[in-house]
Amino acid sequence: MKVSLFIPCTVDIMLPEIGVATYKLLSRLGEQPIYHPEQTCCGQPLFNAGYRDQAKRVAKHFINVFGNDECIVSPAGSCVSMVKYHYPELLEDEPSWCDRANSLALRVFELSQYIVDNLGVTDVGATFKGMVTYHESCHILRGLGVSDQPKKLIAGVKDVQYVDLNNSTVCCGFGGEFAVAYPEISEAMVKDKAQNFINTGAEILLLCEPGCLLNIGGYLHRNHPGKRAMHLSNFLANNGKEV
Amino acid sequence: MHSRVDQFMEMARKEMKNELSQTFLKLVTFWAPILRQTALSSFPDPVAAESYSRAIRAEVIERLPELLEEFEKNAISRGVKVIWARDAAEANNIILDIAKRKGVKYITKGKSMITEEIGLNDHLIKNGIHVYETDLGEVITQLLSLPPFHLVGPAINVPPEKISEIFLENGILKEPTTDPVTLGKAARMFLRKKFKALDMGIVGVNMAIADTGSFINVENEGNIRMNKSSPKTLIAIMSLEKVVPNSADAIHMIRMLIRNCNGRKITSYVSFDTGPKKADELDGPEEIYMVILDNGRSEIYKDFKARSILKCIRCGACLNTCPVYMKIGGYPYGFVYTGPMGQAINPLLLGIENTTDLYRACTLCGSCKQICPAGVDPPTLFLEYRSRAIRMKNAKDNWTLLSRLANTVVTVFSFGMSQGWAWSLGVKCVRPVLNFLSKDGYIKDIPMGIQGWFSCRDLRAVPEKTFHERWKDLQNKPVPLADIAKKEVI
Amino acid sequence: MSMQAREEILGRLKSVRKNTPAARPAKPVLSEINLDKGQLLQRFTSELNAQTGTVYQAKDKEDALRILSEIASAETLKFVLTTSDDIYGIDIRAFGSQNNISVSTVQDFSDRDAFRELAFTVDAGITSADFAVAETGTIGVIFHKDQPRLVSIAPPVHIAILPVDKLYPIYENIVEQVFRNTDKIPSQFSFITGPSATGDIQGVHFKGMHGPAKIFVIFIMNK
Repeated sequence: MKVSLFIPCTVDIMLPEIGVATYKLLSRLGEQPIYHPEQTCCGQPLFNAGYRDQAKRVAKHFINVFGNDECIVSPAGSCVSMVKYHYPELLEDEPSWCDRANSLALRVFELSQYIVDNLGVTDVGATFKGMVTYHESCHILRGLGVSDQPKKLIAGVKDVQYVDLNNSTVCCGFGGEFAVAYPEISEAMVKDKAQNFINTGAEILLLCEPGCLLNIGGYLHRNHPGKRAMHLSNFLANNGKEV
Repeated sequence: MHSRVDQFMEMARKEMKNELSQTFLKLVTFWAPILRQTALSSFPDPVAAESYSRAIRAEVIERLPELLEEFEKNAISRGVKVIWARDAAEANNIILDIAKRKGVKYITKGKSMITEEIGLNDHLIKNGIHVYETDLGEVITQLLSLPPFHLVGPAINVPPEKISEIFLENGILKEPTTDPVTLGKAARMFLRKKFKALDMGIVGVNMAIADTGSFINVENEGNIRMNKSSPKTLIAIMSLEKVVPNSADAIHMIRMLIRNCNGRKITSYVSFDTGPKKADELDGPEEIYMVILDNGRSEIYKDFKARSILKCIRCGACLNTCPVYMKIGGYPYGFVYTGPMGQAINPLLLGIENTTDLYRACTLCGSCKQICPAGVDPPTLFLEYRSRAIRMKNAKDNWTLLSRLANTVVTVFSFGMSQGWAWSLGVKCVRPVLNFLSKDGYIKDIPMGIQGWFSCRDLRAVPEKTFHERWKDLQNKPVPLADIAKKEVI
Repeated sequence: MSMQAREEILGRLKSVRKNTPAARPAKPVLSEINLDKGQLLQRFTSELNAQTGTVYQAKDKEDALRILSEIASAETLKFVLTTSDDIYGIDIRAFGSQNNISVSTVQDFSDRDAFRELAFTVDAGITSADFAVAETGTIGVIFHKDQPRLVSIAPPVHIAILPVDKLYPIYENIVEQVFRNTDKIPSQFSFITGPSATGDIQGVHFKGMHGPAKIFVIFIMNK
């Protein structure tokens, strides 16, 4: 199956190793990932800030780029959410674009969701001797209803020990512009998240959202050097090693 | 109530440093979801129960005018005097007028958020009618002139010393004490005297039943039953979205309301009033005035993208699950409605241009939407308000240089984001600038820019190559299928 | 002015297109409807106990009187107000005289002010109840000329007496009856579950804020 990689802007610019890991995982599983180099961003930052006209322009570009793909996979739940739920809304007053958006919405998947639900795989051949825990990002959990899938993939890792994260479903305080516009509140939220992670004694905090990774990872680097957060794709593709 | 929304961050900072507030927030937001979950699990199928309550509220919205007319007709046939009020001023004057006609010197009040919304207390007091709040939390916030800390427990965080002081000042307490029970009992004795001689009581309405013309109050303290039993005149005031089709629907909504509100399955009292007392009854109101308040809601109703907030049943569950509320408590929201439901309704009541922080200070985590028993979707509403705010800022007659500049910059970005080559070029230009400030692979601060990020976090330096740029290399080096153990760096 | 306000408000509400409401999902079924008589009583009792209410099962009228005396002694009642001399055949005046308790009856009053004054003075209110709900240990009381409202809310103790065959599984069983006959809907009906309570100061919970601090429910098992 030719799977089309949807590499979000945060990954493309700041965390490209997540894109590479996504490519590697899907290749190993027999998919033939293709990548449209004209892709840019799903437009979520513009949409969330209220610039809908501009977000529409970006959405149309996205639909043009991905519109003919059978199956689109992305390592970012919030971006998948944007395409699935907000594109049709954004384009509701342009019927032909809206139809295309509705059609596209059925064909776009978050990575762990795709591997477990569509491919039926939970063991991707990874090994990690150590303890990990998992933060449930908001858009993946509540937006897409994806919760078991990442946990199954973690459980499928040979030798891994898993411990539950206290308040795993509580927001980490990223929220895109929120972290910049309301830093004190954001800090209070990410501080809790980091403390809950440290309390588990786990070596790595796993997550499926690049935005959460920038937030929690950035906070850990400043305040708890040595403690690390990692995207699940990276963890699975590289056996927990930083690349 | 006077809005203090413009002090959002100022209050938020204060509250985040307030140890007592933080203790309470941690307690409330820890216990409330657990109690709620336990109470909901008394349903054999909690998910079905929630779907049903959401369906009832959705239906109410679609049928609102017809249900209100049915309610009015039935209430009038029972002898209720139904009065419609377009806005706060009208409602306040109607109620003052009744109080004056009855010659009352004071009234007692059950907890009613819409009376706070319209500033009823101040209006009555200004015109010589004393107002005694009777819900213990409201007694305290009234005397201390505080906004509500929590929808359901408005004064739960107030230190007993402060309550003791204000009670002593107001003749409610004789000796100072910090024991909550002694304070509560003192309030009880004080208010009992007021109930005993009461001529007119004012209550809110939790639900109005269309097919019988009845209204329902749920409470634990008993002050509302006192207000509905003791005096000869009763005024009930409801905002127009509180109606439900019939008593069976009302019962289901009450089950959901209370479980979501405080984790009990039912409150101590759920009382249904259908008309004033019959001629031969020894107590109860001889006259009931039902004020149906609009105050902006019919306009909200016409607004199809915003009207879903009218489904709200004021249970407060969204507060207890909101990660932002958990940190800042009720005060920063600056108005009678707090937490996510306050963020959803205050912009519509107070103006989108006056409430920016309310719909921007949200990570869109969706927790509130997930648990709302009425089916309100606050994050979608916030996104809509943000979009309206931008449009308003750039309207022909309303723009500022800054808003136009911002809009232009974003438009330029959007063009850049619609072309692959422009995107790559943009990144190539920005990367060296950002990385100039990096040290050991991390950026600690960017002068004159997105300071908020760096207040507590680092940012990884922008990698040398984007995924775009790595793709070419990826293509040239196919990934071996079975190659798992070796570390691969591309 | 109200007519004008009414026309404006309803006018605005009606001015927008009406969508057909989506069909409702199935109404959730409650497990309590499957409880047998014994289980209903057990459930009612444990629910009300959890709210600090006390439940008695009186074999007959004599037993009910004995229970009333027990309560009166435990609560040191001196002066009570009852809705009737005769509650389901139980002679409340006899109870009063047996225990040296002053009993006032609602029928003694025609003046609401005098009645109100007394209701706020007595140690306990004794009433019948029309229904009980096992779901949450709740009683249901219809208010009317022989059942004034203040008797069960003003005194610090409330004692409610009813036959056990008025015990139903869920609220719907009661609400159906109360609202079925549109000519006979009472001016007020209340569900009462446990005593009055609050936790508004520091979350510290206590009973008896404005209403009774204690509630006793006596089921008569045999008429």
